[in-house]
Amino acid sequence: MVEKKLRYPTGVRPLLVEETARRKRIESRFVNILEDAGFAEVVLPIIDYVDPYASILSRDNSRSSYRFVDREGDLVAIRSDFTPMVARALAPALDVSQLPLRIFYRGDVIRCDASRLGVNRELFQIGAELVGDASLDADVEVMNLAVKIAREFGIQARVVYNDTSIAALLTDDERRAVATRRALTPSDIARRLTPEIAARLESVAAALDPSTFALHLDDLDEDTGYYTGIRFRLFGPDSRKAIAQGGRYDDVYQRFGTPAAAAGFTFTIDDLD
Amino acid sequence: MRIAIPKGRLQDRTLELFTAAGYDTPPEGDLRTRRLVFQRGDIEWIFVKDCDVPVYVEHGAADVGVAGLDQILEHNCGAYQPVELDFGRCRLMLIAAPGAPPLTNVATKYPRIARQWLEQRGVRAEVIPLGGSVELSAVLNLTSHVIDLVETGETVRVHKLELQDVVAEISPRLIIGKNAFRTETTRVRELIARIENALEAKNATAVSRIA
Repeated sequence: MVEKKLRYPTGVRPLLVEETARRKRIESRFVNILEDAGFAEVVLPIIDYVDPYASILSRDNSRSSYRFVDREGDLVAIRSDFTPMVARALAPALDVSQLPLRIFYRGDVIRCDASRLGVNRELFQIGAELVGDASLDADVEVMNLAVKIAREFGIQARVVYNDTSIAALLTDDERRAVATRRALTPSDIARRLTPEIAARLESVAAALDPSTFALHLDDLDEDTGYYTGIRFRLFGPDSRKAIAQGGRYDDVYQRFGTPAAAAGFTFTIDDLD
Repeated sequence: MRIAIPKGRLQDRTLELFTAAGYDTPPEGDLRTRRLVFQRGDIEWIFVKDCDVPVYVEHGAADVGVAGLDQILEHNCGAYQPVELDFGRCRLMLIAAPGAPPLTNVATKYPRIARQWLEQRGVRAEVIPLGGSVELSAVLNLTSHVIDLVETGETVRVHKLELQDVVAEISPRLIIGKNAFRTETTRVRELIARIENALEAKNATAVSRIA
């Protein structure tokens, strides 16, 4: 019985003095870089109703959060993804004349899919968003900023990206086939691109440093979630784990009442170790 | 690059395939030792229990592996499965106890697949996870049914069990971690091409033998 009291639930642990000091140093460097780049911080609640997010989060996604019924009988979730929460917080008071907005946030997210090896349930994340700018420049700014942050931590980042809107050009079966079997090659997909998407990808590629950024046309998730455009993952030199990820999600703000384009990224700080 | 080879049923054919694809696989003598990791050139070969291959690959502990679809589905493994291999195929089947009693509970090594399949069919039955020798639970009437792999059907015949339904056609696949694909794209694509070519060459020889 003593053993049970000693250990923590799978995937969570305290940070003791040294680790906390280390975490704080990382955090303050992050904050400095983001503030220098013109981003301002918002603080978000740790729990929120489940209902407002129903149309944004896929079933699998909302299942990965801890949910419970509060005293009033409402279904409430512990936050597991910042992006939709930022939109819900900002959208009602969004002043269109003030756009674009540069916002950042930090804090823990908690997920309940921790039976998987090496996955923490409690993750400390810092993320940034550029709201109200649908341009390619915004995509490029967000991606370059993520790389710049990694560089500040001595990480020579490699970024793999694609455009989620490609998914709409494929049939459901093709999409599933690409996500699980790699049934279509990058050149198969290149032939299917609309001129518009092809031109967009070319301009983005031209603006990015080719030694850091690689376009993988066949890198499509089966469930693209709320992403609508660029989707990217940032890797360190020897890592098999993405240390940051992000992309463009232009529909999220609209679901909370004010249409606004948005692109951003999230670093999971534990993965910087 | 680290490659996970499943121990047991698929091991020998898997190593043959990699050898045919021009990879320097660990020699047989080495495999009989207790070593688990073999460095050959720039490839590290690891030998893990077949059901663990998807776990290693999905979490990046190995870049590439070979795993049966049964294990891939059971672990809800998100790794890519670019090549289906032509050996070790079998079926995951619903098997009834002698006398085919009504379906009330199912013993299986694949609780996740079993629950999904029963749910899809709108069948209410309890799933009882077991570690092995699953047929025994039907033979001893612990459960009305089992869901298990059937290769030759010999066990089923000997114990007078009844094959009732195919849950899934199972084949081993070459699996590749998504992040390995993202960060080791060139080497991984080359590996896929070499494995595909080795399979094609094998089939071509088989065809010319028949002809």
